[in-house]
Amino acid sequence: MKRDMGTQSGSASVWRMAAASVRGVSHARADQVCQDAHAVGLLPDGVLVAAVADGAGSAALSEVGSALAVDSARVVIAASGTSKLPDATDTEGWREKLASAFSIARAHLEEEAEKRKVDLNALATTLLLAVATPEATVVMQVGDGAIVMGDADGGARALTFPLHGEYANTTVFLTSPDALETAQFGLYPAATHLALFSDGLQRIALDMATGTPFAPFFAPLFRFVANEPEAAAAQEQLTSFLSSPRVQERSDDDITLVLAARLIG
Amino acid sequence: MAETGRLEDAVEFFSNPEPRCPCVLLLDVSDSMRGQPMAELNAGLHTFREQLVRDPVASKRVDVAVITFGSVVQVVQNFIPITRFVPPTLTTQGYTHMGAGILLALQQLQSYKKALRELEMDYFRPHVFMITDGEPRDEPEQVLERARKQLEAEERSKGVLFFAIAVEGADVERLRNLVVREPIDLKGRSFQEMIDYLSKSVSALSQSRFVEDAQQPMPPPGTI
Repeated sequence: MKRDMGTQSGSASVWRMAAASVRGVSHARADQVCQDAHAVGLLPDGVLVAAVADGAGSAALSEVGSALAVDSARVVIAASGTSKLPDATDTEGWREKLASAFSIARAHLEEEAEKRKVDLNALATTLLLAVATPEATVVMQVGDGAIVMGDADGGARALTFPLHGEYANTTVFLTSPDALETAQFGLYPAATHLALFSDGLQRIALDMATGTPFAPFFAPLFRFVANEPEAAAAQEQLTSFLSSPRVQERSDDDITLVLAARLIG
Repeated sequence: MAETGRLEDAVEFFSNPEPRCPCVLLLDVSDSMRGQPMAELNAGLHTFREQLVRDPVASKRVDVAVITFGSVVQVVQNFIPITRFVPPTLTTQGYTHMGAGILLALQQLQSYKKALRELEMDYFRPHVFMITDGEPRDEPEQVLERARKQLEAEERSKGVLFFAIAVEGADVERLRNLVVREPIDLKGRSFQEMIDYLSKSVSALSQSRFVEDAQQPMPPPGTI
């Protein structure tokens, strides 16, 4: 499920993006739908907002939960208007802004659960959110998956890490009671390259023991998104990569990857 | 511009070790299993292995251990990757020391989890499948009580998922009093069906992710 908002007319297109969610092998085998979702948007003044959500495999309506979560988070950031976004140095202001996006997303899940007369856990989903301005990169995350920033030299730095408890197959969800208290938050310098991904990719993209991004994984992807001017072509190639046997045989779960590169100059 | 296929060639993958999915088969080998049932159970262990090895995910993650209980309880097979598991040939012996079997299974799991932590290996919540055709017999009440309490504590702290499978002859009511989760009643079904059910459940538990406490085995055959 995707929610792409086109480039806003009137503002210079300073970001190139590619985003795709594909169904994992085990979900395809069980004839389940893709439970991942993503949403990206370009706001005026060169501000990028990107969200990724991964619905829990065991939850009945998790594909509803993940789609609702990314939409809610994107809309909250977009609706506040870029003039009302905090300054690049205002850590607490940013923390509050992103936390409000997460609590509104959670409130929407609660409303939806009530409307459908189901337990909130039926909509269990993770949520990853990144806002990139020309001065700063701000991230918040509940659950697993990760957000990675690239530099012009092909290096990669983790802004968030996959979070799980004692067991590798349980994580915190936006619907968990302590979701917002345990959320990861970070304010970083402006990014030239950004990647957000669900847990389906983390085992090939990160050294899980340390949470370190594997640079030879990210560098070609960042080069690709920076050099592909056609949004539709970029999307198509990314989808084809994520659906390729080489990726699919290394991951049984749904896979979502959002890539963005800022055009310099 | 990049053409389709180029990303596939350019992107390199990091190789993380697969998370471990510990699975204990806790098997009743008391005298009531003599003859046909034991022969079918032994054959079933081979089927169990074959079915999991065929599963691309389970084959990389499942570590299986086999513990038997009769008049003695013993670890017949310590935790081993399913691909390297050589099914043992079990023989029947004596009474049904189920409580001692449960205690040994929990103890083995504790030390295996400790070993995995020391190796910094990721792991899933371990599960035990206890298969019985009877009820506890010739076992001191305090051993049973200790097993019941310890299992309850382990389930409460989310240390284990313990499933009791009742096959022909089992006393489901007594099992219900001993274990936390509702026993899976497969009385009247063949061993083949039971083994199919077992491998499908283990396979499902070895993949995907769970909302806390939502981990369940497959619904028993015939209920869906």
